[in-house]
Amino acid sequence: MIHSHHKHKASILELKQSQKRNLQSWLLSAPSLIWLTIFFSIPYLIVIIYSLLLPDIYEVKFQFTLSAYREILSGTYFKPFFLAFRLALMTTLLCLLLGYPVAYLIARSSEKWKNFLLVLIIIPFWTNFIIRIFSWRIFLSSGGVMNEALIALNLVSNPVEIIRTDWAVIIVMVYVYLPYMILPLYSAIEKLDFTLLNAAMDLGANERKAFFKVTLPLSREGIFAGSILVFIPALGAYIIPQLMGNQNALYIGQVITYKIKNIPRNWPVASALSLVMLVIIAVILLTAYSLYQKRQIRKTDEIR
Amino acid sequence: MEEIRIENLTKSFDGFIAVNDVSFTIKTGELFSFLGPSGCGKTTLLRMIAGFETPLTGRIMLGNQDITQLPPYKRQVNTIFQNYSLFPHMTVYENVAFALRIKKVPHAEIDSRVKEMLQLVKMEDQAAKYPNTISGGQKQRVAIARALINKPKVLLLDEPLAALDLKLRQHMLIELMNIHDAVGITFIYVTHDQSEAMSISDRAAVMNHGNIIQSGPPDDIYERPASIFSAYFIGETNLIPAEVTSIEEEYVDLKCNAGDGEFFEIDSTFHFRPEVGQKLTVSLRPEKIAISRTKPRAQEDINVIKGIIEDILYLGSHTQYIVKVGNLKFRVFSQHKRVYFDDKALDWEEPVWLFWHDTDSWLIDEVTPMGMDVGEVNVFERPFQTSRGVKRLLKSE
Repeated sequence: MIHSHHKHKASILELKQSQKRNLQSWLLSAPSLIWLTIFFSIPYLIVIIYSLLLPDIYEVKFQFTLSAYREILSGTYFKPFFLAFRLALMTTLLCLLLGYPVAYLIARSSEKWKNFLLVLIIIPFWTNFIIRIFSWRIFLSSGGVMNEALIALNLVSNPVEIIRTDWAVIIVMVYVYLPYMILPLYSAIEKLDFTLLNAAMDLGANERKAFFKVTLPLSREGIFAGSILVFIPALGAYIIPQLMGNQNALYIGQVITYKIKNIPRNWPVASALSLVMLVIIAVILLTAYSLYQKRQIRKTDEIR
Repeated sequence: MEEIRIENLTKSFDGFIAVNDVSFTIKTGELFSFLGPSGCGKTTLLRMIAGFETPLTGRIMLGNQDITQLPPYKRQVNTIFQNYSLFPHMTVYENVAFALRIKKVPHAEIDSRVKEMLQLVKMEDQAAKYPNTISGGQKQRVAIARALINKPKVLLLDEPLAALDLKLRQHMLIELMNIHDAVGITFIYVTHDQSEAMSISDRAAVMNHGNIIQSGPPDDIYERPASIFSAYFIGETNLIPAEVTSIEEEYVDLKCNAGDGEFFEIDSTFHFRPEVGQKLTVSLRPEKIAISRTKPRAQEDINVIKGIIEDILYLGSHTQYIVKVGNLKFRVFSQHKRVYFDDKALDWEEPVWLFWHDTDSWLIDEVTPMGMDVGEVNVFERPFQTSRGVKRLLKSE
């Protein structure tokens, strides 16, 4: 009896403790929660409302309709969506392929080199984004450094027209997003215990197998984080396709901008397109995340 | 016939010689230990046998095969790593199955062999767990199963028990011996813990500065140390500076320097022939010395000296006395047997008699390191835990 009484008392105290902790964490989170409510939720609410209205030349008519969604479903915007996806996918893959060896190299360097190399990765951020893209335009243009070098080396006779193609977009996209891939990869690989590679090789795995069976799975967290950091913003890319790309084949980010910029404006379609993008990104994120989580559980089941 | 033979192996790192022209042979099925302070080259030696380091010169033969240049994944040698190095993203089962999956062994065979291995190390009910959810002792078992599943000819163990607490360590030691008996392959065991090496090995090699100082069965190294280093790296000992005064048929007479112009005389049997006037060192194990407040009756083959108790450490199973004889400090272990002491226990500052059989004083053909206080030389406070003590000793030689 006494024992159970004590137990009861302890659980009440525990409850009080955890309530206090809860209150503290809510209070600490309040500023950012309020911030997000004002500057994220409310604008999105406005976007949702706008997507359900009729377009007007400059503004909207306050009349409920689903016509914007109907227009999207008709397939008019399939191509810009497709282009955006293709671009995001290729950018992510190329960043991963190019970034992984770099991240690995940095992670395995000595402490002194590590910091130096990390600074090198971050240095491009010190220059304005638009200036960097314009530099690429000059560099890649028909009279630019690249073409002059190619001609001087007798590799080509006429300048390679790369500006205003999808290639130019991809090159600059990879350039801009590479650090976002390298940094999470680096932090994942850096945590890796390299004696595990010795263990793998000791157990019969050659260098390649040890990489695919141990290093790669153990840097999964970094691959996942880096891919998301690159893929999501790449999907809505606007400035780079605008400055580098073929203006006859627009990406979805450009289409949304034109719907608002060009007169007659179409706020509802622009809003609806933004929302469709939001939903697609949310679905991708959730799917990727649940796949990421499930792997562990499925593996455990396999054995039973 | 799968003996492992090391021939003139040398390895250096940035000019530092880690392993210095080492040669030895380990017989099939033997449990062989390398024992030495950190930095003595034992781990480098092991890593060369495993294939993680390439020797500068020399050969490693496994049976008739020269494996010196083979990469680790082509050697029939597996390793238990110091921190186990279990793959954190794989379950216990998958960790053990790893080597077979790499070899693309059929599924059914993998399953039966993994289960057999897990049974051997008593981990069959933990198969589905991940390494970070099991205890240190269990990780150790998984590491053993993982290393043994590929039926290696040699199992290398790199300080396998260092991360475990004392009770578990003693338990795993017995377990390791049982596993060794069950699988019957060669075990090469690396440790800095002399009690581990002594209790587990068929033979051991004491290493220092990249050289093998002495090798043989552990009791042989303990009872018959060939050098000052092995005398006090294995077990505890009293080192007495001595000079040969006369040589008889079966023993020598020694004059021992107790410092401050004080001398005492003892006898010792010998295993090498010293010369009259030669300076050497007597190693005398603390447990071989008897201690009493009454003088033992005179006997020809018993050495008797007189000292004063300076310190008493009660250690449960035995008591350790520090007894001053002149400037020398003798460490004496006395087991708690009522047989010896029917009267009251010995006390601090009490004059006592130390005596031992002359076969228990062991001659080492080395001059006792000087340049230190005589008393300091005589009683070593486990200085070989770090290699700095060793260097200090050898420098002053």
